[in-house]
Amino acid sequence: MKLMLFAPELFLLFGALALFFLSTGKAGGKKARALTVSIALVNVLICFASLRSEGLLFYDAYKIDFFSQVLKLFISLGFSVVLLFSSELKGVEDEVRAEYYLFLLLSTLGLIMMVSSVELLTMFIALELSSYSLYLLVPMRTDRGGLRVQMEAAIKYILFGVVATGVMLFGMSYLFGLTGTTYFVELLPKLQMMMGSPVALIAIAMVMGGFFFKLAVFPFHFWVPDVYQGASNETTAFIASVPKVAAVAMLIRITALVTPEAQAIVNMLIVLSVCSMLYGNLVALVQTDIKRMLGFSGIAHAGYVLLGLVTLQEAGYVTAFYYIVGYLVMNLAGFLVICKVSQQGENLAIADLAGLHRRSPLLALTLAVSMFAMAGIPPFVGFMGKFMLLTGAYKAGHLALVIIAAINTAISIYYYLSVVRVTYAGNGEEQPLLQVDGMTKAVSVALVLVIIALGVVPNQLLQVATSAIRTIL
Amino acid sequence: MEPSLFTVEGLAGLLFLGLLGVTLAGAVIATCSTNLIRAVAGLALCFLGVAGLYYYLNSPFVALMQILIYVGAICVTIIFAVMLAESSELKRLRQRNGLIGPLGILASGILSWALAGMALKTEWYKSACQANDGSLARLGEALLTTYSMSFELISVVLFVAIVGSLVLARAGRSKA
Repeated sequence: MKLMLFAPELFLLFGALALFFLSTGKAGGKKARALTVSIALVNVLICFASLRSEGLLFYDAYKIDFFSQVLKLFISLGFSVVLLFSSELKGVEDEVRAEYYLFLLLSTLGLIMMVSSVELLTMFIALELSSYSLYLLVPMRTDRGGLRVQMEAAIKYILFGVVATGVMLFGMSYLFGLTGTTYFVELLPKLQMMMGSPVALIAIAMVMGGFFFKLAVFPFHFWVPDVYQGASNETTAFIASVPKVAAVAMLIRITALVTPEAQAIVNMLIVLSVCSMLYGNLVALVQTDIKRMLGFSGIAHAGYVLLGLVTLQEAGYVTAFYYIVGYLVMNLAGFLVICKVSQQGENLAIADLAGLHRRSPLLALTLAVSMFAMAGIPPFVGFMGKFMLLTGAYKAGHLALVIIAAINTAISIYYYLSVVRVTYAGNGEEQPLLQVDGMTKAVSVALVLVIIALGVVPNQLLQVATSAIRTIL
Repeated sequence: MEPSLFTVEGLAGLLFLGLLGVTLAGAVIATCSTNLIRAVAGLALCFLGVAGLYYYLNSPFVALMQILIYVGAICVTIIFAVMLAESSELKRLRQRNGLIGPLGILASGILSWALAGMALKTEWYKSACQANDGSLARLGEALLTTYSMSFELISVVLFVAIVGSLVLARAGRSKA
């Protein structure tokens, strides 16, 4: 039945409607949160149940296949994890929390719709739905100290977002001008015949720009540090992790339009990858605010993901997919600790983590595992992902790129491990013990286990990723 | 063969260039003027030029909507906001660093040159017959068939925008 194909989206839409009705009354954050968490968890189940469904909807603009369904599952899981550990939502006033959850839900809906859209305009509007909701989440932070940093962050986020959107739409107009269609199915054969034409390549590069913005790849990264710093911890946890999965998925879909003749696109991806890695890692070295540091590290990780795309082969796409799922998990683990250690929702300096292992051993362990994983140390998922990305790029003949990436990994180890050093060796005796609720404990243990499991036995996820990628190639 | 100015094509081309000039002039006024009201007026001029281009491209409905929404609603809203917020004439936009102007002109010049060169050298897609008559009926049909998904999804985006602006502007429930 066709309606069942659309079940996850429909459920989220109805959930958003219910949440909206709740928010029109005098509902506080508690009720809204309970409703949102139940919507998110049921949605995970629905996504899981509809994993194998296939079909086309809305005059073929919306495709349900294994690729989209797997991504929907990961996006829903990421959304649920963010909700589960942001139990207090300290950075946001209670009176706007109902709307906060509403926007978070609609942003997830936008991402879920984006990964299924196989038509340029649908893809664009789904992306906008997710972006608009995120733009609104940033300034909803409580004004701390009257500096209005959250407003500055939000304005920067919107302005850079609008520029990226403009670039993307301009690229789409070229694609339409060249082929006369906005459907990927018809674009693919027509574009592959004109891979020699510069317009086609520039159009594809411009369309990629919109997703480079979401993923924070080098020339579209300017929003990252300020938004990470200005948004509340829970908002940053969402912005830093879940949209990036969808962005990589869409980049894979667009890169699949390119044939190996288009050396220019490959060169562009190589340059962007190198710039992102170097810029992200070098600037992260001197950061004192941990969210800012994770922001720059996110730029570097975006550079690593591009290593998978430059190969233009199925194996490369699979490792990019694997890496971004791993990044989702390790990033969420890191932000879980930040959200919990921050007492009133304030920003944390790296120095504030001193002696965390005495205040809360579990959080310290979670943070350490997350940092080790991001640094790429075995046996965690980050190591496996980087290893496969590097070997994949090497096999595709990009030796220089592999060397630069390896150097970058070495640079990044310094700042990740210095967080671990502060956590375990720092002196924080005067700080009180941290009370961690049972749900957070369960989530952090689960995240740690997943980080280790994905690193030790990556085959399961790789097989899923392979069959997912095969459905779109 | 040089197309003569006094043929249909020549006059149409002249009209096109005129509309292009209006759009460009509006854009230049909007970005270069230091007075906010003048910048908005330039923006309105630019929108009018774009509306003319839509009309030229056989989309009268889109042209009308452009005038109605962009010139009629958006520019007027901006002017209201300026009138409510700006109390004195003295409050003008700050002049920027002297180097930014020449560098900007250089960068945009290179970009325009590259885009123009690219556009001229490319063989664009030509549909075998006229794609549509630009009428309201065809537009409605396309919105409810081929682009139904986008059409429906836009309403959700607008919903987010409306609720979001209410939440941010009214600072929560207590002051509502």
